Amino acid sequence: MNGPAYASTLELMSGVILVCAAVTLWRRSLPAVVKALAIQGFALGAVALILGIRQHDAVLIVVACLVMASKGVVIPTLLGRVVASDPPSREATPIVNVPASLVGAAALTFLAYGATQPVVALIPTTAGRLVPLGFATLLIGFFSMVVRRKAISQIVGLLLVDNGIALVAFLATAGVPLLVELGASLDVLLAVVVLRVLAAQMWSKFGVLDLDQLRELRD
Amino acid sequence: MTGFQNVVAAGLVAGAQIVTVSVGGLLLVGVMRKVRSHLEGRVGPPIHQPLLDVRKLFTKQRMHPEQASWVFGAGPVVLVATAVVVAAISPLATTRPPLGRSADFFAIVFVLLLGSVSLALGALDTGTPFGGMGSSRAMTIGALAEPALLVAILAMSIPAHTSNLPVLVRMGLAHPEMIASPARILALGSFVVIILAESGRLPIDNPSTHLELTMIHEAMVLEYAGPDLGLVTLGESMRLTLLLGLLVNLLVPWGVADRPGAVSIVIGLGALAGKVALAGIAIATFEVFTAKLRLFRVPELLAGGFVLAVLGAVTALVVR
Amino acid sequence: MLALVVLAVPFGAGVASAVAPWRRWVGWLCTASIGAVLVCGVGLAVRVVHGPPVTAFGGVLRVDALSAFMVIVIGAIGVLATWQSVRYLDAELAAGRCSQRHATLYSVLVQGFVTAMLLAVVAGNVGVMWVAVEATTIITTFLVGHRRTRGSLEASWKYIAICSVGIAMAFLGTVLVYLAALHVGHHEHANLDWTSLMAVSHHLDPGVMRLAIALLVLGYGTKVGLAPMHSWLPDAHSQAPAPISALMSGVLLTVAFYALLRFKAIADGALGVALPRALLVAVGLLSLVVAASLLLSQRDYKRMLAYHSVEHMGLIALGAAAGTRLAIAAVLLHILGHGLAKGVLFLTSGEILLAEGTTEIAQVKALLARRPALGGVFAFGLVALLGLPPFSLFVSELNMVRAETQVGLGWAAAISLVCMAVIFGAVMSHGRHMLFGAGPDGEQVHKTPAIVTAPLIGALIGCAILGVLAWPLAGLLRAAAQVVAT
Repeated sequence: MNGPAYASTLELMSGVILVCAAVTLWRRSLPAVVKALAIQGFALGAVALILGIRQHDAVLIVVACLVMASKGVVIPTLLGRVVASDPPSREATPIVNVPASLVGAAALTFLAYGATQPVVALIPTTAGRLVPLGFATLLIGFFSMVVRRKAISQIVGLLLVDNGIALVAFLATAGVPLLVELGASLDVLLAVVVLRVLAAQMWSKFGVLDLDQLRELRD
Repeated sequence: MTGFQNVVAAGLVAGAQIVTVSVGGLLLVGVMRKVRSHLEGRVGPPIHQPLLDVRKLFTKQRMHPEQASWVFGAGPVVLVATAVVVAAISPLATTRPPLGRSADFFAIVFVLLLGSVSLALGALDTGTPFGGMGSSRAMTIGALAEPALLVAILAMSIPAHTSNLPVLVRMGLAHPEMIASPARILALGSFVVIILAESGRLPIDNPSTHLELTMIHEAMVLEYAGPDLGLVTLGESMRLTLLLGLLVNLLVPWGVADRPGAVSIVIGLGALAGKVALAGIAIATFEVFTAKLRLFRVPELLAGGFVLAVLGAVTALVVR
Repeated sequence: MLALVVLAVPFGAGVASAVAPWRRWVGWLCTASIGAVLVCGVGLAVRVVHGPPVTAFGGVLRVDALSAFMVIVIGAIGVLATWQSVRYLDAELAAGRCSQRHATLYSVLVQGFVTAMLLAVVAGNVGVMWVAVEATTIITTFLVGHRRTRGSLEASWKYIAICSVGIAMAFLGTVLVYLAALHVGHHEHANLDWTSLMAVSHHLDPGVMRLAIALLVLGYGTKVGLAPMHSWLPDAHSQAPAPISALMSGVLLTVAFYALLRFKAIADGALGVALPRALLVAVGLLSLVVAASLLLSQRDYKRMLAYHSVEHMGLIALGAAAGTRLAIAAVLLHILGHGLAKGVLFLTSGEILLAEGTTEIAQVKALLARRPALGGVFAFGLVALLGLPPFSLFVSELNMVRAETQVGLGWAAAISLVCMAVIFGAVMSHGRHMLFGAGPDGEQVHKTPAIVTAPLIGALIGCAILGVLAWPLAGLLRAAAQVVAT
């Protein structure tokens, strides 16, 4: 892949990942949020694919396909089923309102840019310059977990954190050793499965997916 | 070419752009109404209806409310004047418009928005409750949209190291891959949201509503009649055309005349008309399928536009 | 070979309990498997104290003195917990609160849990260690929610949500360490083996390592239960069944801390002691203060024990911050002592819950009078946990304070002593309420079967012996401390 095309496609895909993260804070409708997550998963796989093609690394290409399958298809489908089973599929008023949380996301992006200066300094390539975008996605996911009340939104935040870390891993190190990557992907999948099972249990037992209503355990 | 010939040529180009924007703007509004009507299953008014309306309005008697001052009359005039100035110096048909070195992106957009401020002041001047309501709503939306606009322009200017609009268009023509950069795409996405907000289209404002309490922009012009209303209609359509024209020239700059010459300028005008018409049709189609947002949800949409712009600026800073 | 056996035995028992429907003998089989793990751990310890570390699978598994010590810890408390699990599952089945299928699931998950923890401590590759710790999070979520009440579902949700974020941050820290290692110069040889990372630790980029160690402390610290990431701990440990609480509180927290110790050693090489020490002191002191302030107002004795775990994790964080050989040896001894005492206390509280039917302190009175065996064990357990002689926690806390003063952390030691005094008072007052007083007239004195109390008393005696004589473990502690001390 020649230079400018590689650079601009990589930048575009990383930009899409960050924009999808912002969209999950912006939209209130949960199906739309799940769709954004699916797009993000595909973009993440595309980043790995581009890096793999550039470095002629077959293992990385296999990992890319795995990521696209699990994060672009499987996990959003699992989430979509939970959302479909819960009729009020709109996030109730979040703890921080939408414009303020979007401004917070912008501030977090700047914070990520500042905090990852040493990493960017260490890797002067095109891929290295995009590492702050992964960090920003991570921070936005973290923020989203804190300010959202619905159980599904917390899962979405967790997935954003994982996607951000995966992006940083791909860009910075061209993927960690295969064993660890497999373990990490499997763990994310399992974690989502567990959360889905718990959500289903909560829904079937107590008819509620609003974490605000689970406040029995307190000091 | 001698200095005098340069001035004449520049004047001709400016005149051509101004005429295209004013007439074409009204035609654009007609086209958008026609598209909406067809999609809604009606025949709709003919495309040149807005032209006929404006001509009719100019023949009518001028009427001002008794308690209004000169500000009321000045509002539409300032609106049209700013639109004319911007139409003259923007790189719409050519990448070398007259007074091109003054055509700074920040300056152009804020001169355009000066028009909406003047209209708001005129509406306040009438002293009616609907005028005040429309002005306050319009200014709130403006206050939310303008920071986004600032940051979006910044995001587009950073990679090019300049905010001069003709230079930006020229660079887009010369280096097409700059257009696909995430910074520019994010910034243009934000720009689209802002255009919808500033020109009062759905989902922010319904231009064809007749219910006063749902009006934002229409409420400001309730008291205008006759030639003033004609000027307002003309000015609004010119503003929409100019904003769309800037958007399409930054996104898809092909067709814009790069070399001097009457033929290439005519081609440029034609390309501009075609691209803006397509953009207008896209907006009209989008409007058919969208519902108007409740007023307190509008800040959410604009905040989203702001964040898109900020992300674009950060990406532009990071990826150099 | 021995390392493989350590993993294979509990895994095999897990498979067996998956296949057979749950009966008493399945439970005893699981206990026996963990007992075998303990024996193997002792065997490994004997080998690595005077010899080189044991490796298997080409370095993926590597047992040095520190790992062997952790295997012993896991084995000891695992035996206690699985012993009590038999009785717990019996009682649940008899009361109809749990079906045969759930019991089988429980047994399988506990075996999986222990296997994953063992994998985490014998892994030579920090990536595999991370995968194992994540696996424990997923498995324990189901175990915490085993009782399927509203409270336990809420607790398990909170647990997995917070710990997943923590684990993700730890993963990012691991990735950053790998990145720093890649850029040391020999790109082809960079991998995630702990030994090779230690070898190049002095050449790792300091900027990246600073970010990495902060993420690792926050990430693994979430699983350790250090403040401010501790909010899952009281809920999860109080809602889980008693044997699971014992395993989680006694062992899982310290397995996560073991991971942190490994990374601290790398960071010390790359950054010097200053930053890792500062980070650990900060979270340690915060944990102590949070635990001290919240223990006074506890109304539930299982939550009280959980907050007490937060305090002890804060203490060992402070000890690890000191970082000298003495400090690390004291920390390891504390890990073992705390594990035993906390395990005993949680298991006893499980018995009390079974007997009294409530976890509120106000509702449980005069245990010593009404159930002397149980009350006695609980009392001695509290004494052990509060760091009174002759139990080993006294010795380890004393040595940690000594080591902290030696490196200039005397002020931190002083604050920790104040917090410990406050906690002492709080726990004593809660314990006094539960234990003392006269029973209602006419109620007979209940006898708790010996099979229940025997292992608990045995554990407490072991704890006391360790406090008085360190001879069985002195060599191992010295060798283990040598591995990660500065």
